[in-house]
Amino acid sequence: MTIIPCKKIINRLKKCFSFDHGKHCSVVVWLLIMILLSLFNSEYLFARDSVIVLNSDMSIENYSLAHTEFKSMMVDLKDEIDLGSKWVNEKSIKKRIKKIDPDVIYCIGSKAYQMAYKFAKKKNLVFSLAINWRRLPMGKNTYGISNELHQGMQLMMHRYLFPDVNKIGVLYSKIYSEEWLNIAIENAKEVGIDIIGRHISESDDIESALDELLPEVDALWLTPDPIVISNVESVVKIFEQCEAVRKPVFAYNRTFANFGATLIMSADISTMGRQAAGIALDILANKKVIERVQNPAGSHIVLNLKKVDEYGINLNIEALESVNEIIR
Amino acid sequence: MIKSYRISVLILSRCLLFINICLLVILLLFLSFLPALANLRYTVCFYNPETNINNFALIKSEFDRYLSDYGYFQFQPFSDRDTFEKFIVGRKDGVYLISSWHFRKLKREYPMEMEAKLVGVSKGRPTHIKILTVRKSITNVNLLKGKIIAAAGSKEYTKGVLLEMLGEDQKSIVDSLRILIVPKDIDALMAVGFGMADSALTTESSLTKLAEINLKQYRILRQLAASKETLLPIIAAPKKLDENISSLLRVFENMGKTPVGQNKLRMLGMDGWKKLGNAERRFLEE
Repeated sequence: MTIIPCKKIINRLKKCFSFDHGKHCSVVVWLLIMILLSLFNSEYLFARDSVIVLNSDMSIENYSLAHTEFKSMMVDLKDEIDLGSKWVNEKSIKKRIKKIDPDVIYCIGSKAYQMAYKFAKKKNLVFSLAINWRRLPMGKNTYGISNELHQGMQLMMHRYLFPDVNKIGVLYSKIYSEEWLNIAIENAKEVGIDIIGRHISESDDIESALDELLPEVDALWLTPDPIVISNVESVVKIFEQCEAVRKPVFAYNRTFANFGATLIMSADISTMGRQAAGIALDILANKKVIERVQNPAGSHIVLNLKKVDEYGINLNIEALESVNEIIR
Repeated sequence: MIKSYRISVLILSRCLLFINICLLVILLLFLSFLPALANLRYTVCFYNPETNINNFALIKSEFDRYLSDYGYFQFQPFSDRDTFEKFIVGRKDGVYLISSWHFRKLKREYPMEMEAKLVGVSKGRPTHIKILTVRKSITNVNLLKGKIIAAAGSKEYTKGVLLEMLGEDQKSIVDSLRILIVPKDIDALMAVGFGMADSALTTESSLTKLAEINLKQYRILRQLAASKETLLPIIAAPKKLDENISSLLRVFENMGKTPVGQNKLRMLGMDGWKKLGNAERRFLEE
């Protein structure tokens, strides 16, 4: 190894900075400036990666579950605001959002989304568990997970669990669900199911519509149509009529278990929280979010075995591994 | 008067002595039964990182109900891997229903006193294959970079299987994948079909089910890679069995022979159990 004396190094450095080599030196200096700038920029970007959670009410189990799952996928949350807490008010929330200036606000429930939209509509808002999200104001930076499972998913599970159920009836209103029904009819064909719809204009039409519909079908599929599910009386009426002719009801919410639904298929809340976190991470990474409002990817299935036995429906035993809850 | 007083005191003291002796006998009897009482309930501990079991309450109640017909047995599912591992490592007692993948991993990492006794069976086979399914537009592994993969297993398990499938040289692609954990295999496949994910890691049998339910959905998918055959979940117990554990193992072994038992096993994706053969033992020791 040769040892270069200090004097020699100093001389070389002097030469380097002399007029002849000035141009090379300036290139080096510029490169150094660029590197420093990019480092500063990435540091700045990291500092900007801020996410906050706005929860409509943490005491509601589903809201809390989505919150926990979302949190488990985020490295650093800047703030978590519980609108259900008596210690927060609109003014303090606005102040907290303004202070953090977040890149993404995850809104759990309609109340949280509406508040976030009011105070920070230009921010990226990701919602989940918002009831009737189509009625919410949507900005160009709004993303979310809908509450409803893709109807294709529901139909596939109907077919998987009950291979002999070939005709499914649907009560619907033309105003809210005509388009939905037409798509469902197409999707149902893929799994060999016939969807037979009967439209109603008001809840008083339910009885006569069911009188016509039930003899033609093997089961009734209850959907969240506001005219069909307008009040408790309507729901009771539907279940009583189906019970009278021993036709199973497939529903979309755990509440209908109390009325005697045979199958309830809803979205898995934990998966929704994870999907929302995925969208938030994509936004932070400047990735394009292709589907702005996604369907839930996970399902939660409640099966009423008492009704299955009572009505003598053929149940695919293999499908039991997909069931989350059994009512006996 | 004094005499009668003395007689009554004597009777009273004799009675007290008798009561004390009786109490002592009861206490001795209780103490002699204490070890038996402690063993009254034999617990089957369950943890499986291969599936995202989110129906713990259902599985626990169904298995408790089934096992209680055969003795003082109960079923305890674990949701957290660390808690389960802390519980099982170093133990010399108990019965464990555990994924074969996880059992092998534990055996490699810790000194384990347990050995596999039974292996699950589905449609006559004690093994299964994992398939990496993608949308038709993803024609090779490189196109998977940064995509969403839906799977029902834990993140660690999913990554482990993918690395084994694709090879260590594809580690950067595996690391770039965003794993979306869903409740069940069929959800993972439907997530790809309905556009919530780009790929799915599921069992081969789930893919077959999809083809049976919805051929159109099945046809829009492509099978990109497959794992080696791995054993279905196993039942591990101490090498030396006591009478209770032996009878518990017999209960499990016979589970697939009755429709009620089969229905319970279906919740775990199996339809029976069999004793481990030499090939299965070799697989677990590899």
